[in-house]
Amino acid sequence: ANMKLLLIFGALIGASLCLETFVGHQVLRIKTKNEEEVKQLQLLESLEHLELDFWINPSAPALPVDVRIPAASVQSVKAFLESQGIEYSILIEDLQDVLDKEKQEMAESAQRQRSSSFDFGAYHTLEDINEELDHLASEYSFVEKIQIGQSYEKRPLYVLKFSTGGSNRPAIWLDAGIHSREWVTQASALWIANKIASDYGTDASITSLLDKMDLFLLPVANPDGFVYTHTSNRMWRKTRSKIPGSICVGVDPNRNWDAGFGGPGASNKPCSDSYHGPSANSEVEVKSVVDFIKNHGNFKAFLTLHSYSQLLMYPYGYKCTRPDDYAELESLGRAAASSIRSLYGTSFQVGTICKTIYQASGGSIDWSYDNGIKYSFAFELRDTGRYGFLLPANQIIPAAKETWLGLKRIMEHVRD
Amino acid sequence: ELPPSHFPAARAAAVALGYLRYLRGGPGRGLQLRELRRARRQDIDDVGHKYYLELELEDVLDKDRTVSCTAEVLYHLGSKSSAPDVQVTVQGELRSTEEADQEFYNRIRSLEEELVAENIPDSHGNVPPELEPIHLLAWAASGYVIWQNSTENTKFHLAQVKHVKQVKRSDEDLQFDYVVLLHEMVSQEVLPWEVRLLWHPRRGARVSR
Repeated sequence: ANMKLLLIFGALIGASLCLETFVGHQVLRIKTKNEEEVKQLQLLESLEHLELDFWINPSAPALPVDVRIPAASVQSVKAFLESQGIEYSILIEDLQDVLDKEKQEMAESAQRQRSSSFDFGAYHTLEDINEELDHLASEYSFVEKIQIGQSYEKRPLYVLKFSTGGSNRPAIWLDAGIHSREWVTQASALWIANKIASDYGTDASITSLLDKMDLFLLPVANPDGFVYTHTSNRMWRKTRSKIPGSICVGVDPNRNWDAGFGGPGASNKPCSDSYHGPSANSEVEVKSVVDFIKNHGNFKAFLTLHSYSQLLMYPYGYKCTRPDDYAELESLGRAAASSIRSLYGTSFQVGTICKTIYQASGGSIDWSYDNGIKYSFAFELRDTGRYGFLLPANQIIPAAKETWLGLKRIMEHVRD
Repeated sequence: ELPPSHFPAARAAAVALGYLRYLRGGPGRGLQLRELRRARRQDIDDVGHKYYLELELEDVLDKDRTVSCTAEVLYHLGSKSSAPDVQVTVQGELRSTEEADQEFYNRIRSLEEELVAENIPDSHGNVPPELEPIHLLAWAASGYVIWQNSTENTKFHLAQVKHVKQVKRSDEDLQFDYVVLLHEMVSQEVLPWEVRLLWHPRRGARVSR
């Protein structure tokens, strides 16, 4: 028996190779019946040049022995075991297969981890939001984070640019959080950004949209105010700019645009929450957007998110007359509201700002409309007053989902 | 006839809702507007503007049902001085809250220390379940304030209960001293108001001056 052992071992020596991969490696489970068989396996174990890798070492007859065998040695070891009458079974047919599958699973899990590590169903700080913008930009080749300016307190104004190519394609503008206390809007903008990025290539509508147009998304249009709602006053609405001659701080950024500036529906008192500011575009947060859009020159839609009240509005706010495109905007608004309602039954009222909510001068969509951007809409998201600005976090994703359907409907119309 | 989606009718509806919350609200009932179905306005010479409303309401604690009601809201001329006159007729029955009311009453009466709470809901919209009745009583209290202070140029909502402190009384009423934040839609101001509310399971809510 020992002679046979030596011969076979001799063959095994020649056959052993030193490979980095585990292609063809097999893992056997050996069932020893007695001490004699255990001793034979221990002999096998001592032959280092065979590079047998015992996962469970031979110790006692009652315990199984698991061993990984390099590809080239598999047949020889099996022949040896069979000739000795030692029972075995194959635990792993090809170790590399198993490793490949494991690697793939880990990559998929990491992908899931990475994309679900940001909780879209929760409210976040500005730092966390900016981190997620970085993450989206790094994960998707067609998503880029650009800075269009900085706030009064010198915080960057970050815009996500969604572009699959072309040069200055017709573009859609979407902003959120211009009024900082309207937390569901910044939160929804993040969900929407992730939705668009992850669905490009699989969703027909988003794919055809981004194949023809660019999208620019400003999720936190008023970062100073937003930070202030976290640190000091949850109900803060305005910017945080110092107003010469006043102890009060901040301008209502949605009364500061150059559209009927200073007219009805805005206050000239610095302490007011609807203070229009010393002059149109006095707020750097507003001016940065104005300059960006003017320099781009090819925006076709301007969409802005607010909360609360569940309204879908188009110009005008500064005057109570209908815009020239009234019929088309009303019809498109109704279609979008219908899309919104299709998901959870949430009703949005549709109409001009002036008729629906109040006359209000210096608003962003009035400016965009009067500057040639026909498809200008302002959304007021959930709810209708039960929680108001303090919308529970568990409503963020439903609000974002239904709002997205409305936005999509409008974008599809713009695209076509 | 007024379009329900336009703001004049919506503002009048908010007044009617505030009034009704004060009258019929409680720790176990939170009335909310589901839909404004119809609205008319009548201009009455030397008196003011009167709104006739058809409303569909729901109870936030019982959202499968709705109840219809009609309301009349009269804003007086020179309305800075007096509160609008409001009348509301509820068609049908509101869900009974007798049991929940009594339970709440007993719970608060048996507290060793007077209840104190703040920021309801919190910044993230959370209301701890045991504070929901306090939240709903704040709706009743702020309903009174909203009714008393509304004009055709305002639309108030309760934004948050900033602070509430129970004050134990020698009589049978529960007393809650609230500081509520009211959001006024037209000016966009968020204004703090102090309101003292008395409540009893059978006598209902009363704002005390």
